[in-house]
Amino acid sequence: MPSASDTTTGTATTGTGRSTFDRVLLGARVVVLAAVAVLVLAFPSMAADPFILSVGVVIASYAALAVSWNFVGGFTGYISLGHAAYSGLGGYATALLITRADLNPWIALVAGALVVGVLAVPIGIASLRVRGASFVIVSIALVLILLLVAQSWASLTGGAQGLRVPRPFGADVLRPEQHERFFYLHVAFVAVALLLWWAIDRSRFGMGLKAIREDEDKAQALGVPTGAYKLTVFVISAFMTAMAGGLYALWFGYLDPIFQFSILIGSYMVLMSLLGGIRSLFGPVLGAVVVGYSLEFFKVHYGDSQFHLVALGLLLAVVVLFMPDGVLPAIGSLVDRFRPDQRTSIREMTAEELLEHNQRLERSQAAPAAAPHERDLETVPSTEEKR
Amino acid sequence: MSGSLLLQTLILGVLLGGLYALLAAGLTLYFGVMRVVMIAHSAFLILAAYLAWFFHRETGLDPLLSLLVTVPLFFGVGYVMQRGLVARLRPATLTMMSVLLTFAIALTIEGLLGFFFSGTQRRINLGYSGSSIEVLGAHVAVVKLIAFGLAAAALAGLFLLLKMTRFGQALRATIQHPEAARLLGIDTDRIAGFGFGLGLATAAVGGTALALDSTIYPSLHWHWIGPLMAIIVVGGLGSIPGAAIAALILGVGQSLLQIPMGTTWAQTVFYVALFATLLVRPQGFFGGRLAQRF
Repeated sequence: MPSASDTTTGTATTGTGRSTFDRVLLGARVVVLAAVAVLVLAFPSMAADPFILSVGVVIASYAALAVSWNFVGGFTGYISLGHAAYSGLGGYATALLITRADLNPWIALVAGALVVGVLAVPIGIASLRVRGASFVIVSIALVLILLLVAQSWASLTGGAQGLRVPRPFGADVLRPEQHERFFYLHVAFVAVALLLWWAIDRSRFGMGLKAIREDEDKAQALGVPTGAYKLTVFVISAFMTAMAGGLYALWFGYLDPIFQFSILIGSYMVLMSLLGGIRSLFGPVLGAVVVGYSLEFFKVHYGDSQFHLVALGLLLAVVVLFMPDGVLPAIGSLVDRFRPDQRTSIREMTAEELLEHNQRLERSQAAPAAAPHERDLETVPSTEEKR
Repeated sequence: MSGSLLLQTLILGVLLGGLYALLAAGLTLYFGVMRVVMIAHSAFLILAAYLAWFFHRETGLDPLLSLLVTVPLFFGVGYVMQRGLVARLRPATLTMMSVLLTFAIALTIEGLLGFFFSGTQRRINLGYSGSSIEVLGAHVAVVKLIAFGLAAAALAGLFLLLKMTRFGQALRATIQHPEAARLLGIDTDRIAGFGFGLGLATAAVGGTALALDSTIYPSLHWHWIGPLMAIIVVGGLGSIPGAAIAALILGVGQSLLQIPMGTTWAQTVFYVALFATLLVRPQGFFGGRLAQRF
């Protein structure tokens, strides 16, 4: 396959085959990432008051949920509206393991997520048998059934009274300090989740999952073990979501079935990921910042009315109708338009471009033999010149 | 359990199942003509219930009269929604994205209902609200009978429309084989819009029937969407008779289980049926030729 470096050794390319444009892009990316990282890490010291800090924790928690959701949504294209089932279960499992089994809170967090991961195996087997719409229906049904169970099984979950989660840090840790610690815990979790997503994205496993997303039947025909792959990534996603839910439970200190097993939470995850872009690494995080911030804004300003639901609904509709690929991929394609060696689709070159390229190649090989004043004639390729 | 209690429960189950059947028929229509899973169906149901309540409060007339307004209105809304929104989605991701789009519509409706009518629980008080008739020792509330009658009439109308009219023929052709229908000169886009409107019109009837007999509040639609979705999966996505049979069976099952288990746990029958169906027969039990790949 011809690449830019074959044709010329001019200013556009270097020995490594990476154009200056690409290097500028990479540099810009590193700078932006570093700046964002510094901003995120400095956020607790910049936050004006504990309320702003707590909003930061909420947004970080949304980011954790969205990134965890994106293991299934982004790789396989199976849109689950019911991931609140796993975050809620993670929260309840963590809380119950602390209060009933007297476990250390951090061990309970991991153990709770493991329990949810095990539970996700049969659920995954049942729900991944169907595709598309039926899968979404099942994911919604799962949240609704868990809501029923959590409300009815009052002796275990506290029912509608809710469940108090003991604070993981001692009583001497004040609220703002607690917010700060949990902010960093959430950020660390998001970083680990992103790293895992990135690793899967580059692996053979990730390639198989993306093949399922593009065309499941063809992937299967090509020998991708679709069932096992889907189940594996589903369980990973459930585990991570449960972990994020448990972390939230430890921070918030109180669980209510209506808010834990809520379709809204699941739809937030979908909206955040879609808005940012489910196929890009940082898409869900960007979406979480945008959606999380606007949600908190709407709740503060229009808390009593149901206006935040309208805003959420309209935002979701706009995203689905006008930018189903998300913001980050849109930016990516915008950058590509300014690329000197413009890439086109999978083929990289159209047939005409290939023809033109080959002709240019032949001309440049013939050029040194020709006298300088003859070059102008060669701009029009003639048939005699070809061997 | 005494005999009369059992009979009463059975009758109530059938009445409830009839209502479920009407609503699930609408869902099945959307799926048949557009491959769209309409999460907002139950939100429109609650919207119709609110309109019936509002109509009754403002005019004092029987809420059933509101149907004269809501049925054509909902039909028009459905047509516009299909042509203006759903048809604009990319065909490759239509099924998945339509779920999200209709979900967004459901949230918007819920939010607007809360905004205009507040989250307070509402109930219509009619002259005949408290009355009931006795059938073989079983007491059946008149409003439940009216709701069932409405559902039965709407379902019968839907059946006749689909079987007897040219429009119904075109709609069924569009459901069965869109390309062939186009070859025969059927404007499938328009028919799909009408099919969508028809589905939404059933929500208007169902919502009014619901308003007669139950307390309504904006977030009630979450309560309904689970059972309805379970019904269409059990019945086989896209099959109207399948949905009707599943609705009756599950409605009766729910009523019977309510006595030993209580109302909340009885709701789980839908979800148990849903998961069992997926494990045993993912394409659903009745009809369901279409469902396999969705």
